[in-house]
Amino acid sequence: MRLRLSKQFSFVLNGEAVTVTCPPAYTLLEVLRHVLHLTGTKDGCSSGDCGACTVLLDGRPVHSCLTLISQVEGRNVVTVEGIGENVPKCYAEEGAVQCGYCIPGFVVTTAAFLEENPSPTEDEIRDALRGNLCRCTGYVKIVNAVKKAAGGIG
Amino acid sequence: MTAAARWVGKEVVRKDAYEKARGLTKYASDMFPENLLWVATHRSKYPHARIKRIDVSKALKMPGVVAVFTHRDVPNNRYGVFVKDRPVLCDDRVRYIGDPIALVAAETKEDAESAVEEIEVDYEPLPVVTDPIEAMKDSSYPIHDGGNVSRRTRITFGDVSKGFSQSKAVVENEYRTSTQIHAFLETEAGISYIDEKGRITVVAGGQSPYRDQHEIVSTLNLPPEKVRVIIPQVGGAFGGKDDISVQIHLALVTWKTGRPARLVWDREESFLSGTKRHPSIVKMKTGASADGRLMANDVEIIYDTGAYVALGHAVLDVAIENCNGPYKIPNIDIKAWLVYTNNMVASAFRGFGAPQVIFAMEQQVDQLAKELGMDPVEFRLLNALRRGDVMVFGNRLETSVGIAKCLEAAKNTPLWSRQADFKAVKTYPWIKRGVGVAAAVKGYTIGALPDRGTISVELLLDGGIAVKGSFTEIGQGVVQSVSQIAAELFSVDIDKVEIVFADTDKTPDTSVTSASRQLFLAGNALKEAAKNMIKHVAQFIEKTYNIKVDNLRFENGYVVGRDFKISFSELANAMARSGVEREVSGTYEVPRVQPIPGSLEIPHLFYMFGVSLALVEVNTLTGAVSVPKLVSIADVGKVINPQTLTGQLEGAAAQGIGYALLEDPKIENGILKTTNLSTYLIPSIKDIPEIEVIPVEDAEESGPFGAKGIGEIGIISVAPAIANAIYDAVGVRPKSTPMTPEKIYWLLKNKC
Repeated sequence: MRLRLSKQFSFVLNGEAVTVTCPPAYTLLEVLRHVLHLTGTKDGCSSGDCGACTVLLDGRPVHSCLTLISQVEGRNVVTVEGIGENVPKCYAEEGAVQCGYCIPGFVVTTAAFLEENPSPTEDEIRDALRGNLCRCTGYVKIVNAVKKAAGGIG
Repeated sequence: MTAAARWVGKEVVRKDAYEKARGLTKYASDMFPENLLWVATHRSKYPHARIKRIDVSKALKMPGVVAVFTHRDVPNNRYGVFVKDRPVLCDDRVRYIGDPIALVAAETKEDAESAVEEIEVDYEPLPVVTDPIEAMKDSSYPIHDGGNVSRRTRITFGDVSKGFSQSKAVVENEYRTSTQIHAFLETEAGISYIDEKGRITVVAGGQSPYRDQHEIVSTLNLPPEKVRVIIPQVGGAFGGKDDISVQIHLALVTWKTGRPARLVWDREESFLSGTKRHPSIVKMKTGASADGRLMANDVEIIYDTGAYVALGHAVLDVAIENCNGPYKIPNIDIKAWLVYTNNMVASAFRGFGAPQVIFAMEQQVDQLAKELGMDPVEFRLLNALRRGDVMVFGNRLETSVGIAKCLEAAKNTPLWSRQADFKAVKTYPWIKRGVGVAAAVKGYTIGALPDRGTISVELLLDGGIAVKGSFTEIGQGVVQSVSQIAAELFSVDIDKVEIVFADTDKTPDTSVTSASRQLFLAGNALKEAAKNMIKHVAQFIEKTYNIKVDNLRFENGYVVGRDFKISFSELANAMARSGVEREVSGTYEVPRVQPIPGSLEIPHLFYMFGVSLALVEVNTLTGAVSVPKLVSIADVGKVINPQTLTGQLEGAAAQGIGYALLEDPKIENGILKTTNLSTYLIPSIKDIPEIEVIPVEDAEESGPFGAKGIGEIGIISVAPAIANAIYDAVGVRPKSTPMTPEKIYWLLKNKC
């Protein structure tokens, strides 16, 4: 019989202190979606392949599906809900959003990337987003959205 | 109608885009109703076996388990659109590796997943049939009563032997295409609950709320008014949510327990149990005369439908209809089989049977042009269908036929007209460049099958309108297009248009969101609704104000007639005060055509056309192929929104590149080995090149503002254009997809 153990974990989520009680084996993704019902962070594969679940952990993009909640104790998490409006606005305006399920992950990765590299080349954009999969767009408009968010076009 | 269009053709940013990008949109997988039961599925461990015993007693005793369901809980345990061959939960047999046997409903996800492991099933393994050619033999083990050939048909026009005798060049080849997995980012997902009116309500990713409702009520033996289906924003579908996935299972749990439930397939379940693109074997013998006219096409088509038919019968029809390409051919002989195997279930996938046969035909055409010493585009132009022509099935094309315009556009595109410059670019000595072209045709709407759709429009008290239809938003942007068409027809600002979609309680039946039909159907039904609204409003005004109105029209938020003008909001309020209905509907029915003998839905009345141009680089040392540039040209009738249109074509091109080069499902003895996105590779941002989209507008008079379908055409000619470009680069012809480095490497090796 499996041990049905739960523990308390505290961390900062989008600027606010939160405490959750859950099994220590839960991933950050499970905590966000299943415990807190904060569903902007999407679950595309649960295995680190698609990037839909990307969040910022202490400012760096990580797969929340590969991050255990115990690793998050005392740290700072920013989800798509905590990202400023510029990047999502540029994604919308450039037509980079179709079904949109992958887009929150792209938005988080893009925001972190532009923080580090405010005026990237197209090759740098494609490198930065290579871990995020989209099945709808063909990526053309996603590249344009990132360029726009960087102030490159429009 | 106003002369200058205000909303149609305009690049308006999708209303749903910003909210989606902020993560605020609720997809089915984002919904967690209070007090919900988590549902997990016990699936077959064998690709083919008899079930001797199912024991759920241990599972029932597991902590948190509320109920376990098997076939014994399903009143009518078979469903299917064309053939009711698919069990809701397997009873006597399992027929593929993902076949569902039992459902556990429990208080937590962990409880449900642990209990699923405790379900005991005794199997008697049966012979596993995975090769469709083996499956067709009489000696093969029957997967269903009646044998493994689910459908066979032969369609002939003219006399192919005469056609070949008049041909100077004849080419004959066998082509194979592999399974393609939809790999939408949101897996099959849904919730269910009892709504305020006591109805079992299923909210799930899908493409047709009324068909899903029908499958639920027919299997669970419930009256239709007791079941409601809602399809919220869907995280991708591409045909893969055209069939039932979680819907009946969810309804069963809520029906039996009275509690809300949540069922979301994980990625592996989606890959195993979701439907796929049919793998195919296509044999073609094609002949052309000395002056370059296609004379005959002798075709054998075998599509592997896997364990169940799903939409396979219609997919086979589309294959037959499209295997001749967008060309005039006087003599055809097409034999086609849809075959059961113990592979995973194949059904609808963008293109719906066309990409496989066009992969074959467009390489045939390329070879014939080469043999006759003709330019491949000129050869296609010479044979291209034109309006008024009799198509291969004896049907006269009286609607828009834009293939010649697409080919002309291709001819004038720099990638074609200055292809020598592109090919002359030197990178490394072992990299060879080539340019290829391919054309495509596909019917939109559901052809000779009955096809109608209804939309209703309500005048809102604030002066806006609500447009209601059962179309589904699967990412393609139909909600945006319908908004723009509505804003145009009713002459209101787009912000005044509210769209209510895909809820069997609130929206009329606009039928399925598939076959690239929804903009066309919904748009046309909306036109009818607008006409009916004019009549309805005229009657109201005449009765209420006692004035005779004629020539009534919508103008900038007002209803205007001779000596008469009233704002939408005043009108709606006046109607409300008088207790007059403010909602009016309109129905569009696709004119019926008789199916040709041996078919279900051939021919269509309406066709879309497209051409792809591909530039490839072949690494002659490794066989790796990349596509630095792709041009997608499509006859769209009329562009409703340039941004959503180019988005559709770019996305289709990317899926086509994945199909052509990357997507390689490994299936061994019916068992899928590539069950996640790190082993089944879909294109990443690094795999997709510059994509140039060229819309060609050959207006369709029957379409809303001249528009045609657009969802599928962009994918169909991509793989053959890449294959033809590979031949142009290195002189080998890959006759199967995916065109992996290994395959090209051995072709090159064996060539020398």
